[in-house]
Amino acid sequence: MIQLAHVSKKFAGRMAVDDLSFTVARGEIFGLLGHNGAGKSTAIGMMLGQVWPTGGTVQICGHDVQANRSAALRPVGAIFEAPVFYDYLSAWRNLEILSAYTAPTSKARLREVIDWVGLTGREQSKVRTYSHGMRSRLALAQALLPKPELLILDEPSDGLDPEGIHEMRLTILRLQRELGLTILLSSHLLNEVEQLCTRIAVLQQGKKVFEGNVADVRTARGKVALKTADFGRATRLLLERGLITATVEERFITLADGRTTAEVTQTLVAAGLPVAGIWQHEQTVEDFYLNLIKPPPAKN
Amino acid sequence: MFSAQLKNELWKLFGKKRTYIGFGAFLLAQTAMLLAFKYTRWQSDFEKLLAGNGYLATEFISVLTVSLVMLIPQIMLLMPLYATLVGGDLVAKEAEDGTLRMILSRPISRLRLLFVKWSAGIIFAIVLVVALGLTALGFASLLFPWRGMFVFSPGQAFSVFSAHEGLLRFGFSHLFLAVNASVMVSLAFMFSCFNMKPAAATILALSVLFVSMVMENIPFFDRYENWFITHHFKCWLLIFRDPAPWTQICQSEIVLFAVSATAFVIGAMAFQVRDIKS
Repeated sequence: MIQLAHVSKKFAGRMAVDDLSFTVARGEIFGLLGHNGAGKSTAIGMMLGQVWPTGGTVQICGHDVQANRSAALRPVGAIFEAPVFYDYLSAWRNLEILSAYTAPTSKARLREVIDWVGLTGREQSKVRTYSHGMRSRLALAQALLPKPELLILDEPSDGLDPEGIHEMRLTILRLQRELGLTILLSSHLLNEVEQLCTRIAVLQQGKKVFEGNVADVRTARGKVALKTADFGRATRLLLERGLITATVEERFITLADGRTTAEVTQTLVAAGLPVAGIWQHEQTVEDFYLNLIKPPPAKN
Repeated sequence: MFSAQLKNELWKLFGKKRTYIGFGAFLLAQTAMLLAFKYTRWQSDFEKLLAGNGYLATEFISVLTVSLVMLIPQIMLLMPLYATLVGGDLVAKEAEDGTLRMILSRPISRLRLLFVKWSAGIIFAIVLVVALGLTALGFASLLFPWRGMFVFSPGQAFSVFSAHEGLLRFGFSHLFLAVNASVMVSLAFMFSCFNMKPAAATILALSVLFVSMVMENIPFFDRYENWFITHHFKCWLLIFRDPAPWTQICQSEIVLFAVSATAFVIGAMAFQVRDIKS
């Protein structure tokens, strides 16, 4: 559905996106993760033909966005952070205006979409009277108008209260379930990404530092929780024997390559340190992300 | 599809209060000038001017004469301001507000989007000029009778016409004024297509007009007057010469059309290569 091949973008000598490649398959919810300024919005801008890449190609549904923008964007709907509209016009008029840039849209379709997002009865109100949550729903309505196959959501929960974030999350899941849409979600809300996405790519300073399945991230080899009477003595011993490489928060250990929890247990018991519990800690996307982007330790 | 897009662009343009600032300012200025003409020495001085040239003041202090007297300063001062204000908003305001990003996530080409916006700007210019002319006539007709027209514009025109012919020429002059306003809108639109704030686009367009006017009035540049936009703007007054210098008028109109088209092309080229970011 989306294919980025070695895409890069330079702004005034600074690489905003550097050799970015990934593919989003039809029907999946793909998360684009990264802190502010990591290059997510620039990457989305290039997917929508709003930002010209310095190098590489972006294809949507097999059409090159640069060479054939109209064909590429025909099946696409998009929502940006902090949705903005013509506040002095009604929601209905806003939708009419925006749909005119795609294709003729019937009033029945406008009504259908307004109903779908739950704005029926408020469509003739001026947008300036809308709450942030209602604006988000209107943003969704405008994205759904052209009956898209692909939805690009750039920080859709930005500025929403917890209830609004929850509602947006349910809506995204509903979009995929009921309408079968492919969704690309850019966010720095890790919890949201974890609950919604099937695959993720992590950007850092414009570069992709990870791409993979969320399920793999959860079960990826990471921290091991260790419960023992003297954690300090136990970890010193394990470090001396080369069984672990690091300790975290006086609770977790990181196993050295090729080592197992059974070896750790045997070593500790043999040294007279009873083990009350040891288990593989299932990490969250947040754990994974924070480990991934944390700066390397300073060299002395 | 173009007509639907243009209709929606006009909804956007005429739906916001900012667009009506110009109309409101013109109404106020016209009222003030009309009252000033009627109740100060302005009218008696004008009557003396007529009498000094051998005309009966009672025959020519009329709706058409007063309308034109009211229009000249407004066209010199207010029209550039409000035309460039709207022209500067056309693209830059949408970029500033963030709505441009939403529009450009749709499969519309940038060139087509600009053409729709520019067309809406030209329609605004025409509406502004027509409203200006009609309100001038309307206000003047409250206090003055329909009679012959006397035109006195130093260096441009000194003529008298019957009411019928005067009205015809008044109408024609507005056609040329609409072209002037379109050029002003186009200049501001051009700057608006670059990555800048709407106010900056308006100020730059006004600066171009101001520099043109100043240079045109420096005697050294007399021989280059055809290079200045503001020189060609004056052709709207040439229609009041008798006989009207049609060749000169047509030349000026062609230059103004060319300036407008060039401004559009430059703006479109700048917009085409621009990155649209939040």
